[in-house]
Amino acid sequence: MDQIRKSTAPTIKDERAFHNVALVLMILLALYCLAPFFLMLSVSLSTEHSLSTGGYSFWPREFSFAAYDYLWAKRFTIGRAYGITIFVTVVGTITNLLLTSLFAYPLSRKDFKPRNVIAFIIFFSLMFNGGLTASYIVWTRLFHIKNTIWALLIPGSLMGGMNILLVRNYFNANIPYSIIEAAQIDGAGVFRIYWRIMLPLSKPVLTTIGLFAALGYWNNWTNGLYYISDTKLYTIQVYLKKLMDSIAFLKSSDIASESAALAYKAFPMESARMAIAIIAILPILLVYPFIQKELVKGLVIGGVKG
Amino acid sequence: MPKIRSEKSSEGHSSQYENILKKNKKSKRLAEFKKTFPMYLMLIPGVIYLVCNNYLPMFGILIAFKKVNFSIGVLKSPWVGFSNFRFLFETKDAWIMIRNTLAYNAVFIILGMAIAIFVALCMAEISNRGIAKIIQPIICFPSMVSAVILSFIVYAFLSTTYGFVNRTFFPDSPINWYATAKYWPFILTIVHFWQVTGQSSIIYMASIGGIDKELYEAARIDGASKFKQIWHITLPLLKPMMTLMLLLSIGRIFNSDFGLFYQVPLGSGLLYNTTQTIDTYVYRALLELNNVGMSSAASVFQAIIGFLLVILSNALVRKIDKENALF
Repeated sequence: MDQIRKSTAPTIKDERAFHNVALVLMILLALYCLAPFFLMLSVSLSTEHSLSTGGYSFWPREFSFAAYDYLWAKRFTIGRAYGITIFVTVVGTITNLLLTSLFAYPLSRKDFKPRNVIAFIIFFSLMFNGGLTASYIVWTRLFHIKNTIWALLIPGSLMGGMNILLVRNYFNANIPYSIIEAAQIDGAGVFRIYWRIMLPLSKPVLTTIGLFAALGYWNNWTNGLYYISDTKLYTIQVYLKKLMDSIAFLKSSDIASESAALAYKAFPMESARMAIAIIAILPILLVYPFIQKELVKGLVIGGVKG
Repeated sequence: MPKIRSEKSSEGHSSQYENILKKNKKSKRLAEFKKTFPMYLMLIPGVIYLVCNNYLPMFGILIAFKKVNFSIGVLKSPWVGFSNFRFLFETKDAWIMIRNTLAYNAVFIILGMAIAIFVALCMAEISNRGIAKIIQPIICFPSMVSAVILSFIVYAFLSTTYGFVNRTFFPDSPINWYATAKYWPFILTIVHFWQVTGQSSIIYMASIGGIDKELYEAARIDGASKFKQIWHITLPLLKPMMTLMLLLSIGRIFNSDFGLFYQVPLGSGLLYNTTQTIDTYVYRALLELNNVGMSSAASVFQAIIGFLLVILSNALVRKIDKENALF
C-alpha cells in the first residue's frame, strides 16, 4: 500500500484534495451522529430554571447535578429496573448461545440424516411468521407469561434462525471433520465433542452472536410493552418508555423507603428525564469501544443475510 | 468423489460397534440409533422453542378468520370467513397504513442505498486509516441505542415548550411538532438515516475493501481522475452487492420498524396519517383498541404478502447469485 502511494504521489494531486474532502465530510457525519447525545447530556446537567427560561441547548446555561442527585435518591427504584435488565441480558444471552449452538451442531454433522428436514424447518420459520397478534395470543392465552420474568426472556429473542445457520456454517467451514473423527476414535460421545471441541473452537462466531443477543436484550422494550404491566418487572427501557408517556410516572413509582428522602427534593422534571436516558445508554457507551470491532464483523456477516 | 469415500470409511472407523454392524441389520439400526440419539436430544430445546415461538403462532393466523371471544376460548370461537378482512379494508386506516409502509420503505431503500454507498466511498478515501478507524465506530453508534432512547433524543429536539428546534429557530411561534402530521415524513426519514447510515455503509465498505488495488493503480497510470476511478471501477464492482441488497430488501417492504413509527412519534394519535404503518396498526388494534379481529386481519395480511415477497426476492437472488440465496 505505502509503496504504491509513494510511487504515484506526484501524479495524484486531485487525489489529495479528494482525501481531504472525504475526511471533512466524514468528520462532520461523526459529529452529526454524536451531537444528539451531547444535547441529552447537556439537558441532564442543566438547572430546571435555565431549561424553563432558555429551553434545551447544547451547552448547559446553568450547570447543575440536581437531576443525578434526584436519581441517586431514587436509586432503589431505578436500581431495580437496572437489575432486571442486567439479569435478563445475562441469562438471556447465555441461554441463547447454548440453544443456538446445541441446535447448530447436529445440523452440521453430515452423518445426521434428518439435518436437511430440520434446516428446512428453520428456513420456513425465517420466511413466514404468524405476526404479532397470533404470537401475543399464544404467549398470553396459552402460556400465560404476562407479568412474569419469562415475558422478558423468551418471546422472539431466545433463539434466532439466522444465527443457527451462521453457527452451522461456521462449524462446517472452520472445524475440520478430521478433528471430530479423531475424537470419535478416542471414544468421545456427541455431547463431549460439542462441549470440548465445537464450542471452544467456535469462540469468534459465538462472541459475535452473543454480543448482538446481549445488545438486543439490553435494548428490548417491546416485550415489556406487550406483556408487562407490573412496575416491579420493568426493565430500564420500559421504565424509560413509561417516563416518556408521563413524566409524573417518575414521582409515582417511588418506593416507600425513598419517599422520605425525595419529599425534601425539588423535582427536576426535564433534566431528570434526560438523566435517566443517559444512565440507560451509559453501559453501552462504556463497553462499546471494546466490542465495536466484533460488532462490525457481525454486521458484515449478518448484513447480507438478515 | 474421494470426499464421499473418506466419509464412509470414517463412519465405519468411528463406530465402536463396527463388528456388530457386520453381523446383522438389527444391531446396525441400534448402533445408528445410539449415535444419533444424542443429536436428537440436542435439538429438543430448540425445537420446543421453535414450536412455541414460531410454529404455534403460524396456526394463529386462523384467528383472522374467527370472531374471537376469549370467554369461550379461541378454539370454540365461531368462524366468520373473510369478514375481518372486509371490515379492515373498508376502513380508511387500511389504505393509510399500506401507503405509509410502502412509501417509507421505498424512500428508505433507495435513498438509503445512495447514502450508504456515498459514506462507504468517503470512508475508503480517507488516507489516514487511524482517523477512519475512529470515525467508523462513531457513525455506527446510533444503531446501538433502542427506539426508546431514540424517542428521548427526538423529544429533546422537538418538544414544543423546551425543544432545541423551537427555542432556537422558532422562538416566537413554536411549532407543535407532535400534533402536526405533515412534518413527520421528514422527521422520520432524518431520524431513520441518523440511526442506520453508519451501519448500512459497513457492508459496502467491506466490498470496497475487497477490490483489487491494482485496478486503481492501472487506472492511475492511464491518467484516470478519482471521479473516473470511482465511476468506472468502484461502482461497477459494487453493483452485485447493490443488486443483492436491493432484492433482499424487497422481501421486507411490507414490514416496518415498530420502534421508529410508534415510539419516536410518542404514539401520538394526531400523527396517524403520516406515521401509521402496518406494524403500528396491528399493535394499536390489538392492545389499545382490543379489536382482535382487525388486528389479526392486518397481521395475517402482512405475514402472507411478506411470505410471497420473500419467496420472490429469494428467487431473484438465486438467479443472480446462488451463494447468497437463503434457499
